[in-house]
Amino acid sequence: MKSVVTTVIAAADAAGRFPSTSDLESVQGSLQRAAARMEAAEKLSGNLDNVAKEAYDACIAKYPYLNNAGEANSTDTFKAKCMRDVKHYMRLISYSLIVGGTGPLDEWGIAGQREVYRALNLPTGPYVAALSFARNRGCAPRDMSAQALTEYNALVDYVINSLS
Amino acid sequence: MDKRFANIFGLTEEQSIALLDTPPEQAGDESERYVAASQLANYPSEASIDALIRAVNVTYDSLDNRIARRKSVESLGKLKATKGIDAIRGCLSDEDRYTVEAAVWAIGEIGTDNTEILEEITQLLAKPNQTYRVIIHTLVKLNYGAAVDRVRPFMDHENEPTASAAISTVCLFAQDFSQIDRVVSFLQSDNVDARRACLEDLINSRYYAAIPAIARCPISLMFRLRAVRTLAENGIASGNLTVEQVLPVIEQILLDHPKDLELVHEYDQPPALEFLIQELYHTDFGRTYLATKTFIDHPIDAAPEALFATYEAEAHNDYGAHYHVMKLMGWLHHQPAYDLLIDALDNTSPQFMKSRAGAALSLGELGDQRAIAPLQTSAQSKIWMLQYASLMALEKLGDYSQHKLLLDANDWAVKAKANQTVPMAANAHQA
Repeated sequence: MKSVVTTVIAAADAAGRFPSTSDLESVQGSLQRAAARMEAAEKLSGNLDNVAKEAYDACIAKYPYLNNAGEANSTDTFKAKCMRDVKHYMRLISYSLIVGGTGPLDEWGIAGQREVYRALNLPTGPYVAALSFARNRGCAPRDMSAQALTEYNALVDYVINSLS
Repeated sequence: MDKRFANIFGLTEEQSIALLDTPPEQAGDESERYVAASQLANYPSEASIDALIRAVNVTYDSLDNRIARRKSVESLGKLKATKGIDAIRGCLSDEDRYTVEAAVWAIGEIGTDNTEILEEITQLLAKPNQTYRVIIHTLVKLNYGAAVDRVRPFMDHENEPTASAAISTVCLFAQDFSQIDRVVSFLQSDNVDARRACLEDLINSRYYAAIPAIARCPISLMFRLRAVRTLAENGIASGNLTVEQVLPVIEQILLDHPKDLELVHEYDQPPALEFLIQELYHTDFGRTYLATKTFIDHPIDAAPEALFATYEAEAHNDYGAHYHVMKLMGWLHHQPAYDLLIDALDNTSPQFMKSRAGAALSLGELGDQRAIAPLQTSAQSKIWMLQYASLMALEKLGDYSQHKLLLDANDWAVKAKANQTVPMAANAHQA
């Protein structure tokens, strides 16, 4: 599992040297942001179902076609896909907040998924629409502190970028 | 191309073009241009292609424009738009690795024999932090054998899917299959991506000897069926395989009993019922199959009730757990699940397709004769796996009426199954 700490140590070890000043600064930076990340992870875990549900409800409000009875792609199709997958990515985002790096997302959420989506011609539009909403919906200090929200939004952006 | 999700956002071509042409700094919603770029892949017209090329040339620096641009490249690839190749080629030197990946993939879809472009793609192998697997696959697709020595070093890449692609490519280009067993061994990786990825490489290598190992790989049956059927279609056409060799494998995968899988995980202590239920929601099917196997091997009286409860709470809307609940009701021979299984058999939402086949087979396991009529109907559906699973379930219930009606089925496997079974059933009847 990659994190700022393991990356720095692995690089130093590969070169057979002690961690440099810039190595230590990057670790220190990550540790300083740890409290904000833990807050974001805690708030996200406690509110996961609402976040996922709001995200897909917002998409359906935006694309009312999905509500038409008898359409080949029924509302349930979209809801089920969004709900399951948004929850999956939110869980990985919470892991990444704890680790302080994108390792969990890279290793369990992104690697391989792009190929699968393309090979099976699965739509990534719903993820992007739902995750964009999830990013914009967050509000400080209502949901979490401004620093925590910055950490959370950065990872949501990371997922949007990597999956699209 | 699979069209199930072709119009998921209900946008017309004109609406999509108008959205995509909106300057990114003026777009009302950040995801709209991305959705429009994605949607245009369904409209193979000059207007659509021109709009996508215009979008590729918009280089405004923002996340939303970056993903819309990348999707436009991909859509041009899906449309096999030769006209777009110059615009796409410009993306090969982009700083964003996913834009490069999309450009490489799109060129592979469009096709080219321009050696300058092929070299440009090959040289990306020497650039750090690229999606080497896609680059290697594209070089194979474009049949650029001159790249083989630059692919070779990736055979030992630390990333298993990348190594898998490199090994199978060297096998193909150098016609040396001495290392292909390493690709087969990735079917047992504890990394689900490696398990899924190496399937594509075994398909590309046309390595028919891997079919039994593919059938036992703990990933979703949809991946395994796709791989075995693709290999079978090639192998039967080239005379390397017979239908008789392939049908038992297809049936084994469709039946999907965890005893037929080589699992890659294990529990360090006997799991609690609640834990096992939650494992059914895992996106790594290696874990869900382990849970399923545990339910079967160590029956718990409270299991059916817990399965009903989780179905009501979440699994009715989760296409992974939904499937496993349907299967388990059959393996546990839980008669009160009859109505639930009939509902699943009739559920036409596309993401529950594998649940329909699973429900058909579970109805066969229950042995309730009331299921014959609905299974006769599902045997006549247009979905091959549902047809095939329904025939298997009907056999369990002693009904062969549908086999006779499917002797000229559109799908080769269903047709072969019907033709194989009808004489056997007639002989059994005479005896």
